[in-house]
Amino acid sequence: MKKRVGIPRALLYYKFEAMWKTFFEELGAEVIISPETTKTIKDLAVRYAPDEDCYSTKLYFGHAIYLKDKVDYFFIPRFGSDHEVNVGCPKFIGLAQVLDSLFPDFPEIIMPYYSQAKANHGKRRLLRIIFEIGFKFTYNPLKILKAGFRAFEAQRKYEEQLHISEQQLEKWINSQIFLNEKPNLEKRNKPLKLALVSHPYVLNDSLSNLDIRENLSQKGVDIITSQQMPRSTIEDQMEKLDFNMYFSYEREILGTIMYFLENNTIDGILQLAVFSCGPDSIVLELASRYSRRQPETPLLQLVIDELSSEVGFSTRIEAFIDMIDRRN
Amino acid sequence: MPFTFPHFGSLTYVFEIIFKELGRTDIMLPNKPSRKTSELGSRYSPEFVCTPFKLTLGTFIEMLDKGADELGIGGGNMYCRFGLYWPVQKLILEDLGYDFKFFPIPIYDAFDLLRTFRTISNNFTVWETIKAFRTTWIKTRFIELVDNLHFKYRALELEKNQADRLAEETHRKIVDIQGLGNLRRYGKKLPELFDKTIEIDKKKKKDALKIGVCGEIYVALEPTLNLDIHRKLNELGVITKNCISLGMLIDFGRKINPFKTLPYKKARRVAKPYIGQRCGGEAQENIGDIILYKKKKWDGLIHLYPFTCMPEIITRSIAPQVSREYDMPFLSLVVDEHTGETGFQTRLEAFVDLLSRKKDKMLAR
Repeated sequence: MKKRVGIPRALLYYKFEAMWKTFFEELGAEVIISPETTKTIKDLAVRYAPDEDCYSTKLYFGHAIYLKDKVDYFFIPRFGSDHEVNVGCPKFIGLAQVLDSLFPDFPEIIMPYYSQAKANHGKRRLLRIIFEIGFKFTYNPLKILKAGFRAFEAQRKYEEQLHISEQQLEKWINSQIFLNEKPNLEKRNKPLKLALVSHPYVLNDSLSNLDIRENLSQKGVDIITSQQMPRSTIEDQMEKLDFNMYFSYEREILGTIMYFLENNTIDGILQLAVFSCGPDSIVLELASRYSRRQPETPLLQLVIDELSSEVGFSTRIEAFIDMIDRRN
Repeated sequence: MPFTFPHFGSLTYVFEIIFKELGRTDIMLPNKPSRKTSELGSRYSPEFVCTPFKLTLGTFIEMLDKGADELGIGGGNMYCRFGLYWPVQKLILEDLGYDFKFFPIPIYDAFDLLRTFRTISNNFTVWETIKAFRTTWIKTRFIELVDNLHFKYRALELEKNQADRLAEETHRKIVDIQGLGNLRRYGKKLPELFDKTIEIDKKKKKDALKIGVCGEIYVALEPTLNLDIHRKLNELGVITKNCISLGMLIDFGRKINPFKTLPYKKARRVAKPYIGQRCGGEAQENIGDIILYKKKKWDGLIHLYPFTCMPEIITRSIAPQVSREYDMPFLSLVVDEHTGETGFQTRLEAFVDLLSRKKDKMLAR
């Protein structure tokens, strides 16, 4: 029988989906990924997760508990950073061991630790991790190595496809291409252009973002997400800061906001923040202060948590869109 | 150009020392934060940022009003958002219309640290800066020693306020003392000085409870934020100690000494099975301290952290398991600017009662 590896569909899954799935499939394991967040998972999350964690981390707990009895292994990496100085969120590192400590009845958790910034891990460490995990599933080192290479290849391809190039960005700004869902153009002749800015695990999880992407495209809004922005554009923006924004995932958020505030090429920016997310609290303030200094492109900041209601949420988005319409 | 920095419990003295050693004569000592400070800070702060941000911002606003215009605060790359305090505070203060200059001090990078200190200093050479820094970390050892003695003798003293007075006196003296030889001689006499000056309750000393206070460094050390937890515990007759110290960050003398293992390194080592790597804040140290303080036969540990602090939530989630396995009572308390004094006091009293009953049971057996 194939060994079953469970990966909760939350947090870093949305970033490294391709890599992890390919790796375990190549190793000959059965990969079980929890379904898209449902009401049940959310209820589990709210009930069992530590009450002070951020909403997305809570959802992670929900996903993990949902998978608990269906898998032989959990794959929850302790991921510190993949950059020389910039780091991820501390929660990502602690998560595996917190779950292990809070729920002793969990199946074995595979938790490789990788942090380039603080622990100076490099390719050798990666190789070690690959083999350590691999030997749990197969004794063929060549197969493990192959799985490792394929996994990174898949991740590279996925990212290549995800991140658009600067030319594509230009084309999107000039309304030549669509990057996401086609907007519904029944009520307006020209789609509005909005940048939807948030963490990947909010943008792609339709329960936690309260179905905002569908909602927007129904209203005839053409969006670009912060996840898709060209990396070079973001790095260029980050160079302009007089400090180093050392949270890697906030860089893409702040970078996107700064880029569009500066260039005024689109109609508005919509930022979704997760309640009690540490880095978000900083970036929210930075973004709002920057937008006050460059007020041409309107910026709407919404904070989501487990109590946000869809109605209140869509009312504010509607008001924002109306405001943009009136400006144009 | 008056220079100022946030108030940080007894570590305010440490900051005072370093800037004095760097040849700055225009230091403005920060006010002790009050209710008003934290209100002022909260008014202009982001919504769910952690409390130290609000308190430091409040202090900066108060000091800028008093005429300071150079602000020093920690910076650099880390896991915690502390390193991003200053860019946000800078924007906020700029929008409030103040004219000032920020000096972020990168606390995790020794070379950057020296470079920054040199820019702050009064045209010092590199060697002079290193010397100033060295004096600071040696003085820090004694400042922290005084703190420990203070929290011990305050719990046992017969006449009230004696320990407070003596601690303030000795702190001031350590700051002002010139020459490392003098300092070392004075430091050696400190325990004796406390012993002689303060009359203690001998009976109390025998069965006094001992509780360590750990947690996020700013909350654990700043009395305004933790509602002076040490005093509250001392008044209940409990000997307390700070499990964490700034010394661990800046004491390079002990850091590079191969014959000494600093307590924080020990703590990290014993914490490995529970939390295998540093993840910002003092998470790993705190978990380790539960085990270390059990081995030292302390009675309990109180863990403080500001609301929404990312690393300490990890500690808080893992700590129950460690505390169960080692049979070490552990109380985790969240602190923010709305924490009520009475509720806090009640919980501390309940915890102390619990511990004293446990101790009685152990003795009776």
